[in-house]
Amino acid sequence: MFVARHIAADHKDLIHDVSFDFHGRRMATCSSDQSVKVWDKSESGDWHCTASWKTHSGSVWRVTWAHPEFGQVLASCSFDRTAAVWEEIVGESNDKLRGQSHWVKRTTLVDSRTSVTDVKFAPKHMGLMLATCSADGIVRIYEAPDVMNLSQWSLQHEISCKLSCSCISWNPSRKYAKAETLMTVTDPVHDIAFAPNLGRSFHILAVATKDVRIFTLKPVRKELTSSGGPTKFEIHIVAQFDNHNSQVWRVSWNITGTVLASSGDDGCVRLWKANYMDNWKCTGILKGNGSPVNGNSQQGNSNPSLGSNIPNLQNSLNGSSSGRKHS
Amino acid sequence: AMEKMSRVTTALGGSALTGRTMHCHLDAPANAISVCRDAAQVVVAGRSIFKIYAIEDEQFVEKLNLRVGRKPSLNLSCADVVWHQMDENLLATAATNGVVVTWNLGRPSRNKQDQLFTEHKRTVNKVCFHPTEAHVLLSGSQDGFMKCFDLRRKDSVSTFSGEAPEAGRADGEVLWVCHRPPDVFPESTKKVGLEVSTPPSRPPRLGRRQACDSSPQSLQGLPPWLLSLLEPLTFSPHGPPPAGQSESVRDVQFSIRDYFTFASTFENGNVQLWDIRRPDRCERMFTAHNGPVFCCDWHPEDRGWLATGGRDKMVKVWDMTTHRAKEVHCVQTIASVARVKWRPECRHHLATCSMMVDHNIYVWDVRRPFVPAAMFEEHRDVTTGIAWRHPHDPSFLLSGSKDSTLCQHLFRDASQPVERANPEGLCYGLFGDLAFAAKESLVATESGRKPYAGDRRHPIFFKRKLDPAEPFVGLASSALSVFEIEPGSGSMSWFVDTAERYALAGRPLAELCDHNAKVARELGRNQVAQTWTMLRIIYCSPGLASATSLNHSVGKGSSCGVPLMNSFNLKDMAPGLGSETRLDRSKGDTRSDTVLLDSSATLITNEDNEETEGSDVPADYLLGDVEGEEEELYLLDPEHAHPEEPEYVLPQEAFPLRHEIVDTPPGPEHLQDKADSPHVSGSEADAASLAPVDSSFSLISIPHALYDTRLPPDFFSALVCDMLRFYAEQGDVQMAVSVLIVLGERVRKDIDEQTQEHWYASYIDLLQRFCLWNVSNQVVKLSTSRAISCLNQASTTLHVNCSHCKRPMSSRGWVCDRCHRCASMCAVCHHVVKGLFVWCQGCSHGGHLQHIMKWLEGSSHCPAGCGHLCEYS
Repeated sequence: MFVARHIAADHKDLIHDVSFDFHGRRMATCSSDQSVKVWDKSESGDWHCTASWKTHSGSVWRVTWAHPEFGQVLASCSFDRTAAVWEEIVGESNDKLRGQSHWVKRTTLVDSRTSVTDVKFAPKHMGLMLATCSADGIVRIYEAPDVMNLSQWSLQHEISCKLSCSCISWNPSRKYAKAETLMTVTDPVHDIAFAPNLGRSFHILAVATKDVRIFTLKPVRKELTSSGGPTKFEIHIVAQFDNHNSQVWRVSWNITGTVLASSGDDGCVRLWKANYMDNWKCTGILKGNGSPVNGNSQQGNSNPSLGSNIPNLQNSLNGSSSGRKHS
Repeated sequence: AMEKMSRVTTALGGSALTGRTMHCHLDAPANAISVCRDAAQVVVAGRSIFKIYAIEDEQFVEKLNLRVGRKPSLNLSCADVVWHQMDENLLATAATNGVVVTWNLGRPSRNKQDQLFTEHKRTVNKVCFHPTEAHVLLSGSQDGFMKCFDLRRKDSVSTFSGEAPEAGRADGEVLWVCHRPPDVFPESTKKVGLEVSTPPSRPPRLGRRQACDSSPQSLQGLPPWLLSLLEPLTFSPHGPPPAGQSESVRDVQFSIRDYFTFASTFENGNVQLWDIRRPDRCERMFTAHNGPVFCCDWHPEDRGWLATGGRDKMVKVWDMTTHRAKEVHCVQTIASVARVKWRPECRHHLATCSMMVDHNIYVWDVRRPFVPAAMFEEHRDVTTGIAWRHPHDPSFLLSGSKDSTLCQHLFRDASQPVERANPEGLCYGLFGDLAFAAKESLVATESGRKPYAGDRRHPIFFKRKLDPAEPFVGLASSALSVFEIEPGSGSMSWFVDTAERYALAGRPLAELCDHNAKVARELGRNQVAQTWTMLRIIYCSPGLASATSLNHSVGKGSSCGVPLMNSFNLKDMAPGLGSETRLDRSKGDTRSDTVLLDSSATLITNEDNEETEGSDVPADYLLGDVEGEEEELYLLDPEHAHPEEPEYVLPQEAFPLRHEIVDTPPGPEHLQDKADSPHVSGSEADAASLAPVDSSFSLISIPHALYDTRLPPDFFSALVCDMLRFYAEQGDVQMAVSVLIVLGERVRKDIDEQTQEHWYASYIDLLQRFCLWNVSNQVVKLSTSRAISCLNQASTTLHVNCSHCKRPMSSRGWVCDRCHRCASMCAVCHHVVKGLFVWCQGCSHGGHLQHIMKWLEGSSHCPAGCGHLCEYS
């Protein structure tokens, strides 16, 4: 079903993040070697490194693409306590000849006093916004008031979460932008991802911690008259899988929000999909080195009944300050 | 005090150090710390603190306050402190006012101050004892000079300037020194060896020295073997150059390897290597950093390695044994490097701290220059001094900070950023491919790898011990691969194909449904195909078609027909009624015909006065629709409608359907009433049918119900809406939007505006991701949601120049205001361009796309003859 194509990344240290762009034709990788590389897909399907540059003076934890409407823009965040916004410059004829593109730093966000652990652009309909979170538990939301000027970002919100933050995810909903924190997850969380919401009445959230967990957030009797307060959500855990042996490091949703991929300490990527009964099951295992995995039919023990045991996770975070942006 | 000290020293002789991670509060911020050679005491110096603490197992205990005296003296404002590594009683401090002070702990009085050198004009940044010579002290100052003091004399014996003087070397004072490490001599001889340094006659004035004869008189009487080991130390006759011309000295460090050598670092980024006997010029100088070099440290093992740290956030390791200093390692830290100290017993480890921003102490393996091997995060303000507690123990690190604390860090308690770093990256691609980067050791071999068992909640307590003796495994690296999905199996190619091939408007509803069903079927999406077919049946069933055909003068929407059955009950309808249906249908036709004549007119005025895109069904078309019926009848065949049929299994998911026929629609009497009145408004009928219909109401039952009994389309609207929601929920927003567009008014009113907008926006976003711009624009155009349909009206202004007068066109249209000519003339064929017009942004000339393309094959100049080298991209 899948064909593995190995890429000689040539990063000098660990790669911490990979990210496809909006159209899926470009890929960015970032590494502890303080550099970011951009890969472009050729007609033949090969990935060519078209840019590689030093972005930070510490490990680069994450890299993410902005919506192409804002240009070819990347954001990166690092152990060096900064996040940076980069833009590709076209028209450098010298670079073009070598098949290389040129990226310039548009801004450095230096508000954090600790390692910036994640950076994410907001959904496009909110404008040019990005959120960062840092090891000291502060989530910051920046906005570029003028989308044509990537060098000016104003800090819109600063939300203290009290706990060290490792990852953030924008709710892709058209209706609201809310930052949420699930307080019942007691183990360190390595990654978190809202599923793309193409028309659901509720949200799905995947959490990578010592296992893979999938939560649903259903609005509680949404008052369309909008009384002003933040929407309350009824949160259920719909799946929990410990098939990765121990730590789960990354979760990623497919474009329609129907398949979740997770990767963990076992070096495997597992695909999870819900059937019509909302039973999440493993539909595939990919070995990092491309070798086949035994026991492909291995299935997770989805536990929908768990939902009743853990009702109503707290929607702890803020809500009011950054929440409820109507698009 | 002496007694206690010696006791600790002997105790240390044999056994390892004990202790724990601990800190103590100081009265004031620390500027520097230094450890006694017994590893049991540490001295802390700062602007207003100068104390000795004993390092006990559980705590720091204040032992001695060296700041005695009535009034605070600037001499006591310490920038640096150093404890002699041979003499436990000897300390030196560098004061911010330029004074160098030595301290003798052996003095009986409370004031332990020994000597005061007031030769520097500005802050002394660094003091350094010779590692083996008891009386030789070196200082480096902000005034740009380094001075070497013999502690038995009242002033410096030589001055080194950061700026190399042009003057040649002259004979000067001679200090006889022994360049063998003293420990090769017995204790008594060592003392003699140090004593033999001949103090020449005192220079007449401070700061300025004259050449004087150095007589080897004082050497007489010494044994010849000792004389052979002595070398003269010559001092320059030149006085120090005028202050202000030299670069400030940030650090001075005696080499451990070479008796006469010391290194000094400067604010201009240079590092100099000096021979202590030759103050006139440095032996070697090189630029080590961009910006000030704040610190340096010689490798404790005899390798000639010098580590330097600078404001450029880098630590560089230089091999000084080669002719030119060679950079062998470079570590990039996150802030300017204030201190660097090699870790004992670990060849490649060094500790750093920063003077700004970053309060942490890092230990780096220089072979893995990007990620610190360990990190100490105890301090709340800048760490100003770091020192390894014992020269042969790699696990105890002491530090002082501006936050007024003194800390002992145990290496095993350090946090290890490497361990916490995420070793994997994963991203789902647009087409369903996955990019996956993972630490090579995770993906390499399954066997032998133990899963991580530590509890990450408590990184301090459960940690793999970083063993200094552990062989370095090399740089960690990641394997990057993209798992490409094979076409068909779950890739998104169906989405692209469907989007491109679906017909959403411009044809009669039935035809659109058929077309789309065909597209879906060809792509193997049977459920979707079936849905389209059912939609067609619901909204333009054959009965309706023929009914409408009677009504062709109205010429509007097929939905106008409302064939109602007199009574129905889904429960009563057995699934196997297929054989009778043909008869029923013909009955239904006749029945509905009678109703329609009345109802259509009213319904049309109610709902269809607004044009519904995609569903404009000309009446004459419906007359010709009879052909299509055959196909449709086939689809209605009960075997296709049975829930058990494989087509009804979600094509991409292998699980059974859960649907059952759950509930019955409204009671027969109720509907019968309604049916008799053709003026029932759509919404009322909705309300009536909506309420009891469970959301899990089966789609499957529709064909039967319809087939048997000819329900009004309005009756199904709730079901259809549920169906759309179902598709959206399953991630197939394409279906939701396509149906929404195709059905238009028929269902629109039953789905709230916000949901529709959400669907439209999601679908458009998806289409744009796949670069399906034309489809996207079509959807925008066809959408009835105000927020969506305005999308393609944004940024639609084009600024063009008139091709004749080259000035901006101000008015609308293609006629220039100024020269009153049509601006959109083709430069090739000289006709007005209708349709695609392409023009050069440089010269404003252009024409038909085909013409221009053809022209440019032969020439790169403008076809208008203006000489411009046109660029079209």
